[in-house]
Amino acid sequence: MNIKREDIIHLASLSNFRLNESEIDSLGHDLQDIIKYISQLDELKADDVEPTYQVFEMENVWRDDEILPQEADREALLDLTKEAKDNQIKVPKVL
Amino acid sequence: MKYIPTIGIECHVQLCTKTKLFSEVDNDARGKEPNSCVSPVDYALPGMLPRLNGEAIKFAIRAGRAMNCKINASSRFDRKHYFYPDSPKGYQITQFYHPIIGEGYVELPSGTRVRIEHAHLEGDAGKLTHFDTYSLVDLNRVDTPLIEIVSMPDIHSAKDVHDYCKELWRLMCYAGVTYGDLYNGNMRFDVNISLAPEGAKELGTRTEVKNLNSFRSAERATEYEIARQTKMLESGKKIKQETRGWNDATGKTSPQRSKEEAKDYRYMPEPDIPPVNLTPEFIKTEVDKLPLMPSDYREKFNGIISNDILEILLDYPDLMKKLNEIDKKYVKSISNLFASVLLAEEKAAEYLNDLPSAKDLNELAEMNNKKELSSTATKEVFLRLFDPQMTERGAKQIAKELGLIQENDLDALKKIVDTVLAKPETKKAQDDFRAGEEKAIGFLVGQVMKESHGKANPSAVQDILRKKLTK
Repeated sequence: MNIKREDIIHLASLSNFRLNESEIDSLGHDLQDIIKYISQLDELKADDVEPTYQVFEMENVWRDDEILPQEADREALLDLTKEAKDNQIKVPKVL
Repeated sequence: MKYIPTIGIECHVQLCTKTKLFSEVDNDARGKEPNSCVSPVDYALPGMLPRLNGEAIKFAIRAGRAMNCKINASSRFDRKHYFYPDSPKGYQITQFYHPIIGEGYVELPSGTRVRIEHAHLEGDAGKLTHFDTYSLVDLNRVDTPLIEIVSMPDIHSAKDVHDYCKELWRLMCYAGVTYGDLYNGNMRFDVNISLAPEGAKELGTRTEVKNLNSFRSAERATEYEIARQTKMLESGKKIKQETRGWNDATGKTSPQRSKEEAKDYRYMPEPDIPPVNLTPEFIKTEVDKLPLMPSDYREKFNGIISNDILEILLDYPDLMKKLNEIDKKYVKSISNLFASVLLAEEKAAEYLNDLPSAKDLNELAEMNNKKELSSTATKEVFLRLFDPQMTERGAKQIAKELGLIQENDLDALKKIVDTVLAKPETKKAQDDFRAGEEKAIGFLVGQVMKESHGKANPSAVQDILRKKLTK
């Protein structure tokens, strides 16, 4: 699979990243390398192997439906934001 | 050319679990301050581990069976990536590949069957409020458990859109998995609509009207889209596949942001949540908790309660449960009383918060049946039964205290009739009736009612009068 410039630009827009020109090319190279590396797995015969979703072989890790007090409160959340207003997080207008 | 609409609906149902889907935070944010029901899991601090709420799994089983769906023995969660301020994680945890609820169907009151393709569990997004130059984010709703119900394109009219949405709402309320408060967005509908010429093999290009929060708006938006698409097709224009929004005030749909394609969501298995594997016994325990469903009541009360009345009453699960406890021979009269209250009284639904006991209702119906209470008096006592201060007294006591019990004792009635007939002022009416003036009997009945202080049974009085006057 060949990563094209458009792919990088598209992925960046999906993730809301602003990239400058040189970053587009270098990220493209990095991504191409990663895919090439992972593609080595294609050489293995895995037709009769069940797909692995997670490696711990756990199942049904559920918790009870009980409200527990939280260590971090609203102030802690709002402290992390760039700007807050009326106890909400203020962001540039999005539609 | 005639165009046939084909419609499929996606419905999001907010589950009324105590806590959220992945954190131990209060899930009921109604009337609470913005961002007061959030944990670091909800606002996605690095390293936070989501932990699945077992109750949501149980709710999903009940919701699924309420729609006659297969419950999948194994289901998993996936990440659906998108960038938007309503989702601090940058992805939604959902079940894209292996949903918990498989195929099933919902039957509408008209008999139309709408197949369910599948339904899956996922977390809700936060709430955005838009202002002139900025938007505000409230994360209270983040990861409220949702079931997304995906129907097959089996609907072909705006009326069936309404009925399907309403039936889903009923099923979810009966199953006890949601508060079912549409005004507060507990259920939201996305309607996919396409038109094709009658007899065509292929479906037309579809549009999706998103985020409809009432049955009526789903119906109106469908009517609008059918009309809009018909007009475009008739003038030779092409329908654009797009997401549209509905404006309740203008009664129109308009295009919204273009939607990402499935591959743009970069789905991947959610590594933090191990798979859900259910035994048949576990599923059965939950299914057994389901009460009688609307379709059960339709079958049970078929021929006893008329369809129009039953469809009104079916909106109230507790009321139906009560009717089910009532003596079968009184179900018809009691259901009529409930319907008359629901149709006529202001704030009718509030009446239903505190339902009278089945014993009182049976007693009331029995008194009416024995003609101890006129129909007006029956309704009066019925309304009093909802008054918490009156209920302890019971139907009989209330009727007595209000002096509403009718005099049915024929000997007693005959005596009153004799008294009235002996009065000189009734002489003319008696003569008139004997001379063939039918109307005169009304005056005489009225006089007897007056003499009995309104307690006489008027039809019995009339019988006695007729017998005496035609002798």
